[in-house]
Amino acid sequence: MLTPIERLSKALKKEKVDRPPCICPGGMMNMVTEELTREVDIDFTEAHTSAEKMASLAIAVYEKGCFENYGVPFCMTIEAEDFGAKVDMGTSIHEPHVVEYAISSVREWESLPKMSFEHGRAKVVIDAIKLLKSKGSSVPIVGNITGPISTASSIMEPVVFFKELRKMNKEAHQFIDFVAEQLILFAKKQIEAGADIIAISDPSGTGEVLGPKLFDEFAVKYINKVIDSIKRENKGTIVHICGGMNKVYEEVNKLNSDVLSFDSIVNMKEARAKLEDRILMGNVSTYAIEFGDPQKVRELTKKCVDDGADILSPACGLGMKSPIRNVRSMLEALKEEI
Amino acid sequence: MTVLKAELLKRLSDGVVDMEEEAVIETCKEYVEAGYPALEGIMNGLVDGMNRASQLYEDEEYFVTDILLCSDAMYEGLAVLRPHLPSSEAEKIKPRGVIGVVEGDTHDIGKNLVKIMLETAGFEMFDLGRDVPLNSFVEKAREVSASFVCLSTLMTTTMPGMSTVVELLKEAGIREQVKVVIGGGPISKKFADTIGADGYSHNAVEAVKLVKSLLNIA
Repeated sequence: MLTPIERLSKALKKEKVDRPPCICPGGMMNMVTEELTREVDIDFTEAHTSAEKMASLAIAVYEKGCFENYGVPFCMTIEAEDFGAKVDMGTSIHEPHVVEYAISSVREWESLPKMSFEHGRAKVVIDAIKLLKSKGSSVPIVGNITGPISTASSIMEPVVFFKELRKMNKEAHQFIDFVAEQLILFAKKQIEAGADIIAISDPSGTGEVLGPKLFDEFAVKYINKVIDSIKRENKGTIVHICGGMNKVYEEVNKLNSDVLSFDSIVNMKEARAKLEDRILMGNVSTYAIEFGDPQKVRELTKKCVDDGADILSPACGLGMKSPIRNVRSMLEALKEEI
Repeated sequence: MTVLKAELLKRLSDGVVDMEEEAVIETCKEYVEAGYPALEGIMNGLVDGMNRASQLYEDEEYFVTDILLCSDAMYEGLAVLRPHLPSSEAEKIKPRGVIGVVEGDTHDIGKNLVKIMLETAGFEMFDLGRDVPLNSFVEKAREVSASFVCLSTLMTTTMPGMSTVVELLKEAGIREQVKVVIGGGPISKKFADTIGADGYSHNAVEAVKLVKSLLNIA
């Protein structure tokens, strides 16, 4: 029987596995639910600022039979906050979110501070990974970073940001390049601390918002910049993109990550056909996991496997109110198959 | 020599489609100086351009970023032409709508797109922004005598808030006067039916058709 880390490592190398791994990276693809926080008695709002609580909650996700990985953090605001955006830590059912931007135009990018890894929440994430690593277990640790487009559009008003990609093209490139450089440093710190895999979620940089040309010019270019640096550290990479992909399959296929992960709006069978030799992760409906029943989730899980998913995961992470029994039924369905 | 009206209207429309803010502003000034009617400039120039852009969006030739830039050009043009509308036109009451992203969610790109499309279609929109306290939808709808409320969310966790707004409208006794339309990533027609909303739209262009049909506007 393979250990979780062996199974995921094999899946990442396209080697034969007994069954697909079932993971949920964390970050934007949150895998914590309110029910879980109650079971282990950890206040969700405190888990974003305490390395111990963050690590304990990540461990609970695995130990309670939800997913076969550890992953931190549980939001996509760590980077934006370090760049000067104001973040509300949310509630027991709402993830942290940005409430005030740091700059009002891409041309102000030079006034941004660099990310700090000595204090603040980036340090909390790094320390949490160290704690998870010290467990020395057979569970893969996924470190998360928010993608360059999503980070950039969390530091300033997204509508202005998207317009300035064209209107101030040169400054937009300089800004996102700066952000990507910082993200690379954050990813490297997470790897140093013990992360086995880095997941990059870039939900704002969708093909639907950007269209193929801008998706290629900005999303693919800077996500690849981050991936290429991580690859030099010999660590696996997952990239998650939201939204439909009809118009951007060709561009998505240019992403150099080991794994590609999608929204549930994307038909896995079609994605498999278009992205033949890629390792695909996904995409059991987040909605069905929150509002459906275990039987429905089981069926969707099996359909995902049949349609060609190599790694099973909730499409866009979990809604905080998802019942644990629904969450668990993904992994249970996979185990039944063997 | 005065440039023909048709020529200027075409330039206004093309300027919006081509996202050329400066060109639209200049052409609007030229149009006004030539003494042509502002209303026609708006409807057959700017709005025509925005409608063409919407069609390109529906055809997946244009994307969200393109629409945002087209609408910038349209709004800049409107700012020039509106002061020249005859008072009978300027004061004409348009059907009013309240729009916002429900409490707990901050994703508002889709909402912004819907607002642009509805304004283009001639509705007066009151935008409450994002992470909007549920009761604010009801208060605003009552304050401005809105005919409809548009609710959006991209997150599953915040979906129940939409149901709460429907209930709050009932409690306030104005549910009959206010149509409720909803949209966003995880939303479906089925969900709209379940919570007793009047309609669901899966994109911004459809939202205009939906609101028009609910309000019996051709």
